[in-house]
Amino acid sequence: MLLEVRDLHVEFRTRDGIAKAVNGVSYAVDAGETLAVLGESGSGKSVTAQAVMGILDMPPGRITGGEILFKGRDLLKLKEDQRRSVRGAEMAMIFQDALSSLNPVLSVGDQLGEMFVVHRGMSRKDARAKAVELMDRVRIPAARERVRQYPHQFSGGMRQRIMIAMALALEPALIIADEPTTALDVTVQAQVMDLLAELQREYRMGLILITHDLGVVADVADRIAVMYAGRIVESAPVHDIYKAPAHPYTRGLLDSIPRLDQKGQELYAIKGLPPNLLHIPPGCPFHPRCPMAQDVCRTDVPPLYEVSATRGSACHFWRECLHA
Amino acid sequence: MSDNLTLPAQQGSADASSPSPETLLTVEGLTKHFPIYGGFPIRRKVGAVQAVDGVDLSVGVGESVGLVGESGCGKSTTGRLITRLLEPTAGRITYAGQDITHATRRQLAPVRSEIQMIFQDPYSSLNPRQTVGTIIKSPMEVNGIEPAGGREKKVRELLELVGLNPEHYNRFPHEFSGGQRQRIGVARALALNPKLIIADEPVSALDVSIQAQVVNLLQKVQDELGIAFVFIAHDLAIVRHFSQRIAVMYLGKVVEVGDRDSIYNRPRHPYTHALLSAVPEVEIDAEEDSRERIRLSGDVPSPIHPPSGCRFRTRCWKAQDKCATEEPPLVQISGNRGGHLTACHFPEDPTTEDRGEDIVLDPALAALEDDAAK
Repeated sequence: MLLEVRDLHVEFRTRDGIAKAVNGVSYAVDAGETLAVLGESGSGKSVTAQAVMGILDMPPGRITGGEILFKGRDLLKLKEDQRRSVRGAEMAMIFQDALSSLNPVLSVGDQLGEMFVVHRGMSRKDARAKAVELMDRVRIPAARERVRQYPHQFSGGMRQRIMIAMALALEPALIIADEPTTALDVTVQAQVMDLLAELQREYRMGLILITHDLGVVADVADRIAVMYAGRIVESAPVHDIYKAPAHPYTRGLLDSIPRLDQKGQELYAIKGLPPNLLHIPPGCPFHPRCPMAQDVCRTDVPPLYEVSATRGSACHFWRECLHA
Repeated sequence: MSDNLTLPAQQGSADASSPSPETLLTVEGLTKHFPIYGGFPIRRKVGAVQAVDGVDLSVGVGESVGLVGESGCGKSTTGRLITRLLEPTAGRITYAGQDITHATRRQLAPVRSEIQMIFQDPYSSLNPRQTVGTIIKSPMEVNGIEPAGGREKKVRELLELVGLNPEHYNRFPHEFSGGQRQRIGVARALALNPKLIIADEPVSALDVSIQAQVVNLLQKVQDELGIAFVFIAHDLAIVRHFSQRIAVMYLGKVVEVGDRDSIYNRPRHPYTHALLSAVPEVEIDAEEDSRERIRLSGDVPSPIHPPSGCRFRTRCWKAQDKCATEEPPLVQISGNRGGHLTACHFPEDPTTEDRGEDIVLDPALAALEDDAAK
């Protein structure tokens, strides 16, 4: 296994109390595999990724438990300088907003080349040549001329390609893409998503794709982990989830998407609001919004039940849900 | 709550050319150019962003028209022109038989209360220092309207209608979540019993599970109160769900318009094809993905120097010399249903089925696929 997150707990100290952002998340990604982490804002999907990358703001954040095994080593036990050599070289991240993730006062060539100067000790000239090569690889037209340009001179889609190029630069084993296409238009989003998927196949990288959009992941993911209130509520191969969700929250999400083949009818809507992380409901955190909730849901936190060898659901009534 | 409880014009199987019983809003040749100033020492006009360039559109009483396109295509500007938040450069806006293109403030006053707007961002569109009651009440105060039973009673009714607790009258916007704020925005838009609501990306800032709640609310409002909607969005699935007629915009122009089934099942304009094919869809049967696959290259060109002739030609796989010289008119092409207009010299076949070969214009993807094939 390339990456294994085991029982991770993260909390944030805030003025109003302790916000429990991640409450025992476990997932694993292998080389050449794509894991989609799906959830709404506040579900803890990005915080988990930041903990894996080691870019969590601490304080106010605090990792209170768990392990992050990368190629067998527990990253949480590494010193900061060891961690640094992993970050970028062995795992890289692509952020949602390419414009604010790039430095506006450095040319894109300098920013791409910096990877090679810092991690590989290359000369600036060689690094520049590498930058052109990378821009070619993500097929930015006229790379040789554009390498001198600044981020604002590129369009949104091209900027996201530069981010992808930067993540690919040192040929990492794992890429984490945090909502990589949310800020892009549909036609450009399709281009960038396809590009990312093709490159991942070519380099046989592990890819963690964080998103709130069920549509984006259907085509590219192998597995899906659905998060709610800092927990994984369902984890399954992509096919199984779309065919028959084993958790009422997943079912609700799938049903609330307007499909191209239906119109006019009332949409299914999950009632209520996502929970406040300062006061997560006792028992199953989804019970106040769940149409299937029983008394046991209000008191007992459901473990991740084994639905099949490759599939888990944190619902006391996963059987009923699966066959609903 | 309203005396007008007639259902909206239902879009049946009948063809769309039969004009809806009554046209509420007509837009002809609507144009908005934002000037660009530059030069030193005397700043003068050096160009113009052609945000909207000759848009024709009509909305029937109680009808919902969807306006879709990518960012920068002019869909929001069109919405703001219709509400006269922006002054049109050229063209004509007729509302209920009255030309309001350049109407003065005084002339607009009675119309303004009938055309309302719902904004995208529920955080910045509500005044944080006013209570919900004040926010929803203020359109009535501005227009000097005193509903039966008083304004406060009306506000409570509105809160109830949009699914909020009337007891929350004295709360402030920050006490509500994004979805609830959007409901406040809807209540404010309904305060004056409007006949037309321009909804500019009303759900795109909301979480997935909340989007459905707000879409259902808007649908209820439209059905029960018979309000006409111009629904601006980039999410094609939601537009299809909500709107009976759809207009697809590209770089300031409407490239295709028609009723919903016609646009989604029998699109003719290559851009509509590309847009539909780019929508990620939740496939239950992932094995049989029978949709066509089209990947455009690059981004939308700059509206400061739009391409000559057909504006889509720089990204179009069917473009020929004619497309660079002659601008295609928005007409009904043979094979289209009535009311389905397309602006294209070389329209595509009216199907979204998988074609023998994918159209991949993106050099990056094409190269990767070639590598994979080897």
